[in-house]
Amino acid sequence: MSPVFGTVLQVFHPNSPQARAIFDLGVEASVVFAAIFAIVAGIIVYALMRFRWCEGEADPHQFAGSRAAEITWTAIPCVIVVALFALTARTMNVSDPAPAPEPDLIVIGHQWWWEVRYPKSGVVTANEIHIPVGRALSVRLESTDVLHEFWVPQLARKMSAVPGHPNHIWIEADKPGTYLGVCSEFCGTEHAWMHFIVIAESQPDLEAWQRAQLRPAARPAGADARRGLAFFEQTSCVTCHSIKGIDDGARVAPDLTHFASRLQLGAGIAENTPGNLRRWLADPQQIKPGAKMPDFNLTDGQLTQLVDYFETLK
Amino acid sequence: MTTGHFVVSGWAWNGASTTICAVAAALYVAVFGVGPRFGYFAAALAVAVLTLVSPINALADGYLFSAHMLQHILLLLVVPALLILGLPRSLSLEVRPRVLGHPLVGWIAGVGSMWFWHVPVLCNAAVASRPVHALQTVSLVVLGIVFWRQILAPREQERLAPPGAILYLFSACVACGVLGIIITFSPVTVCSIYAGQPADGFGLLQTIRSGWGLTPERDQQIGGLLMWVPMCLIYLGAIVAQIARWYAEPVVPATGQM
Amino acid sequence: MSELMTGAAGAGLLTPLRREHWAMAWISTVDHKRIGILYMVTALFFFVVGGIEAMLIRLQLAVPRNGFLSPDTYNQVFTMHGTTMIFLVAMPALFGLANYLVPLQIGARDMAFPRLNAFSFWLVPFGGLLLHFSLLAGGAPAVGWFSYAPLSETPYSPQPGVDYWALALLVLGIGSVGTSINLIATVLTQRAKSMTLRRLPLFSWMVFVNSFLVILALPVLNAALVMLLIDRLLNAHFFLPPGGGSAILWQHIFWAFGHPEVYIVAIPAFGILSEVIPVFSRKPIFGYEFVAGSTVAIAFLSVLVWAHHMFTIGLGHTVDLFFVASSMLIAIPTGVKVLAWSATMVGGRIRLDTPMLFCIAALVQFLLAGLTGVSLASAALDWQTKNSYYLVAHFHFVFVGLIVFAILGALHYWFPKMSGRMLSERLGKWTFWLMTIGFNLTFIIQHFLGLAGMPRRVYTYADLPGWGWMNMVSTLGAFVMAAASLLFVWNLVASLLHGKPAGDNPWNAWTLEWATTSPPPVDNFSRLPPIRSRRPLWDDANPDRPDPAVGTKGKADNFVPEKNKTAVLAFIISETAFFGVLVLAYLFSNATPQPGPGVRDLSMAKTGLFSLCLFASSFTLWRSECSLLKGSHRAMRGWLAATILLGGIFLGGQGLEYWTLFKGGVSVGSNLFTTAFFTLTGFHGLHVCAGLIALLVVLGLALTDDLTRRPSPALKAVGLYWHFVDLVWVVVFSTVYLLPHLQ
Repeated sequence: MSPVFGTVLQVFHPNSPQARAIFDLGVEASVVFAAIFAIVAGIIVYALMRFRWCEGEADPHQFAGSRAAEITWTAIPCVIVVALFALTARTMNVSDPAPAPEPDLIVIGHQWWWEVRYPKSGVVTANEIHIPVGRALSVRLESTDVLHEFWVPQLARKMSAVPGHPNHIWIEADKPGTYLGVCSEFCGTEHAWMHFIVIAESQPDLEAWQRAQLRPAARPAGADARRGLAFFEQTSCVTCHSIKGIDDGARVAPDLTHFASRLQLGAGIAENTPGNLRRWLADPQQIKPGAKMPDFNLTDGQLTQLVDYFETLK
Repeated sequence: MTTGHFVVSGWAWNGASTTICAVAAALYVAVFGVGPRFGYFAAALAVAVLTLVSPINALADGYLFSAHMLQHILLLLVVPALLILGLPRSLSLEVRPRVLGHPLVGWIAGVGSMWFWHVPVLCNAAVASRPVHALQTVSLVVLGIVFWRQILAPREQERLAPPGAILYLFSACVACGVLGIIITFSPVTVCSIYAGQPADGFGLLQTIRSGWGLTPERDQQIGGLLMWVPMCLIYLGAIVAQIARWYAEPVVPATGQM
Repeated sequence: MSELMTGAAGAGLLTPLRREHWAMAWISTVDHKRIGILYMVTALFFFVVGGIEAMLIRLQLAVPRNGFLSPDTYNQVFTMHGTTMIFLVAMPALFGLANYLVPLQIGARDMAFPRLNAFSFWLVPFGGLLLHFSLLAGGAPAVGWFSYAPLSETPYSPQPGVDYWALALLVLGIGSVGTSINLIATVLTQRAKSMTLRRLPLFSWMVFVNSFLVILALPVLNAALVMLLIDRLLNAHFFLPPGGGSAILWQHIFWAFGHPEVYIVAIPAFGILSEVIPVFSRKPIFGYEFVAGSTVAIAFLSVLVWAHHMFTIGLGHTVDLFFVASSMLIAIPTGVKVLAWSATMVGGRIRLDTPMLFCIAALVQFLLAGLTGVSLASAALDWQTKNSYYLVAHFHFVFVGLIVFAILGALHYWFPKMSGRMLSERLGKWTFWLMTIGFNLTFIIQHFLGLAGMPRRVYTYADLPGWGWMNMVSTLGAFVMAAASLLFVWNLVASLLHGKPAGDNPWNAWTLEWATTSPPPVDNFSRLPPIRSRRPLWDDANPDRPDPAVGTKGKADNFVPEKNKTAVLAFIISETAFFGVLVLAYLFSNATPQPGPGVRDLSMAKTGLFSLCLFASSFTLWRSECSLLKGSHRAMRGWLAATILLGGIFLGGQGLEYWTLFKGGVSVGSNLFTTAFFTLTGFHGLHVCAGLIALLVVLGLALTDDLTRRPSPALKAVGLYWHFVDLVWVVVFSTVYLLPHLQ
């Protein structure tokens, strides 16, 4: 079942002080813009209604301009601009304060998934971020390949992940919930499916999640699952994916240690169910054409074993 | 020292600048009397005082590169313009040899002075050494006058026609803007004397770094940006004035022969 | 087909100048009117191509998780759609219109340089061909129309599509610069005697100001493109972080072009509105001086705002805020125009013919676009709306809502002049309503899609609440627009065949193009009316209440520079922009020390020697010009030959330096220093080559006495270019060889 995001116009449903600051400015600015639109459109509509040409009419008085009007409608916009500028400066400070000296979270953009690392606790995961309700986390954004952009409309401004130039963003939620994030800078074939989820939960729930994430992968019990693990270790899977306790090293592809605990797979392209996982392993290119994971031509038996194994990685 | 305290006490009334301004005012009144253009001249002196006597000057003296840049802009673009505007409309600014009156000379004077004084070794020297600093101040005003003469000379014939003036100003803005870009985005320090430890005569360094949040990197960014957007806005203002001048020429009756 | 030809012939469009086949006549034409029409027909063709691409995009996005187009295909389609619409539709259409109208509006016979005009035009189909050739050569580029690095670099886009894209844009950019140089020279030197600069119709004035923007901005793009090509083809790293380069550098350079570019296409549209709205309100434009002046302010400010496209790249609040300020400021002169057009209508006698309908819609749609633009200028708001469908809506409101609508209005307005026949008013009104409804249906809802969180450039999307039906509405709107476009093409063809004869001035307009036949004869005018104000035909028709005369007493009014010198100076301005970017890139690339080859591997002494030769060649060229003026032709030839020799020595020295470096194992891609060094000095060397060729041509002309039989500006013009190339070397030499010693 897809996580229910509920809201339609996400930017209008801010759930953090940072996003709310931007929303408030948006409302103030919209009022000004609506007024300007109404006035100018009003003038045009008035002219269209009142000053139409009739058959046989001579040309009207050739009024060529009014300096008073010009000065007025230059001065008033100047004032509006100064006001908007001041409001913008203030909102920028509130919605994007300076970073903490050390980041709480490091998010690294790859083609086409998000690597998530918590330096202080050591948690490593992918495409899913857990944050405590009511406390802002300082996030460092990086990229290993091309430009990406980190955007959670309900929680924060968007910020680019630039290779060679780490950026920073604060992320905070004032209510528990699941928030959708997307990559908003075109980054290649599967830019459309580079989603991530931000889950805001209470501090106890977050700590429980953290503890679970820090446990190394359990050795599986079932026969199929054990064969799945053996297969994983012996083939080239380990070149890209790492599983803590089994093979820690590769960072090219998402860390799979607690793969089954995540809500989605393929960076949002499908729900994380055994059925979808099987379809993915059978041919990733069918689901996410262009993804860097090739088709391994796995047999039915191998698929069953792998799916069984991965389902143990909670 | 707190900001408020500094704003009140940071004025250097007892310097050479005050004397020179006073003498200049006296000379002007003696030669031209208090005519209709005296307002501009007084404004020029007021800005000069603001630049050279007020706390801005104290900040530029080793604390903040951006304050130095502000001084630069005021001395090169604002004071000379107001000075020329303050001259009686009949005064001729004709120079000998004639080639010095060529627009290209004025352009190079205005743009070149900005570039020249930001060569790192010269920029540092102007802060470190009093004579070089005085030379810088005087040169900026003089070269500024040479620059603005092309646009604001009292006599119509000595000025560029508005279309030419617009090109002159636009290209000057681009040329200075390029320097502003270089300074803003340069990873190296342009005027290293500001990044080091100044002789903290006012005890203001702590306030600047923590209270105002101005690290040397941000200070240089602001300095470069000042040379870019606000400075170009001054040029834009001049351009708009030229357009107004051009289109406001007296209307000739329709029956007149053109 | 032959019926079309007969109809068009009847309309006077196919009357051959001499007894030649009509196709040859059109291919070889140098007549600005025919070239203008060629531009517009080309633009129309590519509008259909780009429109089909748009339909493909909307079809793919109509429902969530659609499988109509594969992701790679979709990415190619949207890249081509953007590139085509801007470079192969908007710019050619507007330049074509300018080509047709400017000489007529200023009372001239033709453009200042008819052959340059034709050459500039033919670069458009050639560029279009080059761009689309990528489809046959491994696939179209799939990197977006602004081709951000590192995605557009070889590791992430190995196919040659991006190379074709870059080459095509280089070609197109050269054509645009050529046209703009021509327009500047034409407006400054070809005006009718009493058509002073202050009496120019606003369309011509705006195109004139716009041309300066073109010659400044397009070379910046050219510099970015050559740097990208050098990265891709010569293993360099200008924009690749692993090699020391910067992805942000690409954005700076591209947007320093890109933002002026959107004004380059908007300003002529403003010009169209400034012509049509007064005529159909039966009143002069409200505040001509302010509209003309605000154009200059907009052109000026447009080069100061580019980093508002980069608010999320991490430049820091300080830098961001300056660009917020400049971007908001540009709204003020723009607002002056919008209010001027609105106020023109107040107190008028408005006739709602098709041209006016399109222009009123353009005005209202641009009002909305301008306001969403100001919201994007606020960095904080931009942080939510940028790169979402809100932004897509904003720029389509500018490109389509203002520019396409203005072009449609212009075509309905000036088609009678160009063909001698009226377009069908009935079909025109149908086109208008379909287009307006379709456009607004397509794009208003996209604002909300963006606010719902839909990012741009996605080939599909998840089935989130609202996303499906909003996208469907947008797609339906696109179909309505497609219908409108087809109707318009039908109108064009049918009216060419059967349209009502138009007469000289069907709209009772007031500018000079209406003072001649429809279509105009080859030389444009048999006689010109007296020109005392901005509306000569109004004065003619209303002797009881003519416009107040606009004076000729200013210095600039009667200033007519020599056209070759003007063209070369304009060209020099464009080259300054190009070299300026390369010098800045060099400084940026060498700001911090790097391993590998450096300045110490260069020989300042040897290069200094060869530089002296180059500087001496400026002296000898000056002597040659003096000799020509004095009439001593042998001396002139001698000094000219000396100039060529000295220039050749310089090139030889440069070649020697390159060879020494190559022998030492240094290549273009060794490190950022070598890349920047070879790029900067290499392009300078290319310009010296070009200069030498030009000088050789002049020498050849001198040897055959062609140069001296009648006063020829060739030596002076080429001389200006040569001195400029020397000046560039002063800057390059100082930057590369001298600057390290100053630190």
